[in-house]
Amino acid sequence: MNSIEVEDLTKYYGDFCAVDHIDFDVESGEFFGFLGPNGAGKTTTIRMMTGLSTPSKGTVRIMGFDISKDPIEAKERFGVVPEASNIYEDLTAWDNLNFAGELYGISRSERRSRAAELLDAFDLSEFKDKKVKGFSKGMRRKVTLSMAMIHSPDILFLDEPTSGLDLHSSIKLKEILRDLNGRGTTIFLTTHILEEANALCDRVGIIVRGRLAAVDAPEKLKRTIQASQSVEVSFDPAVPGLAFDLEDLPAVTSAEKKGDKWKLLTHDPSLVAASLFEYVNSRGLKIVSINTLGPSLEDAFLAIVNDQARGGGSR
Amino acid sequence: MTSPRRSSRVRRELSRAWAITKKDARIYYLRPGTIMFGLMFPLFLFISFAVGRDLSPQALIPGLVAITIFFSASSVGAMAVPTERRMKTHERMITAPISPLSILLGEIAGGAVYGAVMTAIPLIIGMIWYGFTIDHPIGLLASVALISFGFSAMGIMFSAMPTENPGDVMMILNFVRLPLLFVSGIFIPIEEMGRYGIITLISPLTYANDMIQYSVRGSSAFGPEIDALGIAAFTLLFLWVGVTLHERSRKTA
Repeated sequence: MNSIEVEDLTKYYGDFCAVDHIDFDVESGEFFGFLGPNGAGKTTTIRMMTGLSTPSKGTVRIMGFDISKDPIEAKERFGVVPEASNIYEDLTAWDNLNFAGELYGISRSERRSRAAELLDAFDLSEFKDKKVKGFSKGMRRKVTLSMAMIHSPDILFLDEPTSGLDLHSSIKLKEILRDLNGRGTTIFLTTHILEEANALCDRVGIIVRGRLAAVDAPEKLKRTIQASQSVEVSFDPAVPGLAFDLEDLPAVTSAEKKGDKWKLLTHDPSLVAASLFEYVNSRGLKIVSINTLGPSLEDAFLAIVNDQARGGGSR
Repeated sequence: MTSPRRSSRVRRELSRAWAITKKDARIYYLRPGTIMFGLMFPLFLFISFAVGRDLSPQALIPGLVAITIFFSASSVGAMAVPTERRMKTHERMITAPISPLSILLGEIAGGAVYGAVMTAIPLIIGMIWYGFTIDHPIGLLASVALISFGFSAMGIMFSAMPTENPGDVMMILNFVRLPLLFVSGIFIPIEEMGRYGIITLISPLTYANDMIQYSVRGSSAFGPEIDALGIAAFTLLFLWVGVTLHERSRKTA
């Protein structure tokens, strides 16, 4: 069964088409990533899906309810975590959760137990009576997420949820999302962090210039660009940034410095690996590490975005 | 829709709207802008009018009550909605399962309760210190409730302005509120305005002031029935325009 069905969704601002007749479904219990460059239409799409904006054309069905025709029934079934934490700074964490619970019509006793449970799960119990204006960004994010989950929704919409979070909070949040998804919550995530989408999502949709360019599992998308395999190697001592001779090695199509490593794009990783040993011997270098890599989601994403920029169709 | 389902839906909407009213009371009633425009401003405005005039409390206080409701009830929504737009908490309410009308009703009730509470201040001071008396106490309570709701709806209508800055809404609101003070029979009685008295009919404050005058003194220019009808008509107009404008801004968002 599909939790979300998007059909012919379109949004015009005057003559400008921000979202251009897009169609996709998200299955129940699926972790779906929605990717795209800045200004591609991600936020406009999620705003239409959650009832914040009215589509110029098309429909969004949430658990079978049309968000335009049955907004109350549809909205009861999802929670939203927007990019900016939208919490009441002058209220305590506890009062924020209680207010959210009241908006979803949860009884007083259920609100109390659910709020306590969520604050405990997010390690916020000891701060529950403090006004959230004194909270860190990570704590605010947790309160926002708790408010979105107060009514145990079937679907959770998250717009750039780890944006601005430190590494520890980001890892913790991802663990929470995985756990939620594991318990059956359908998750719709927009992000520009491709590694995040790669690590979390069952499928991703890529939107470019308002058009849906691809919808598939990350591994399947990567397979569509097999040409971009690579060898990642680190030398001791480090090879300077302008080592053009790495590009002269057999089968290397380009060499790119990434921190203390070099990423050598190739069609033939084994040939490159063999020639690298000759390279280090002739220069008195040592290899600290060497890995062969398949195409990343980032490679697939860039290939799709560039393909669309050249006027290609959807995959 | 069957009747039990409809009544359950109405109950659900009202209870969620009430949650918004309580939230507004906790957050906005003590904000400097609300206190300044809701209480201090009408008070000082009235003092500047009353000082040096030989008028009895019975003549002065009804006007002060009308001005206090007018400014206080219309200030809360005008302060709360743009602030919530800036903090993105307004979006939280839109994505929640509550109708746009109920969101606005919750906000309006927040302003109405504030207006009614603020009105009690000049009344209590008048009764304790100046021996001010009220002819129809129940009528006054009902009038304050009706008028507060109407003026709060007016503030909500202005809050539909597409801005995230409460100051922008307050500026436009004051641009309308201040001239209305002078054409509503508060500072110049309607009877003394001669043929210009007709312009008082287009001000909701006229009916509010007249209704309070009736409750306090037992007599007024129009009578309570016409006043109640006038205020109800303006309230519906503010509500309709407010809902339409708020919905339009959501459609173009």
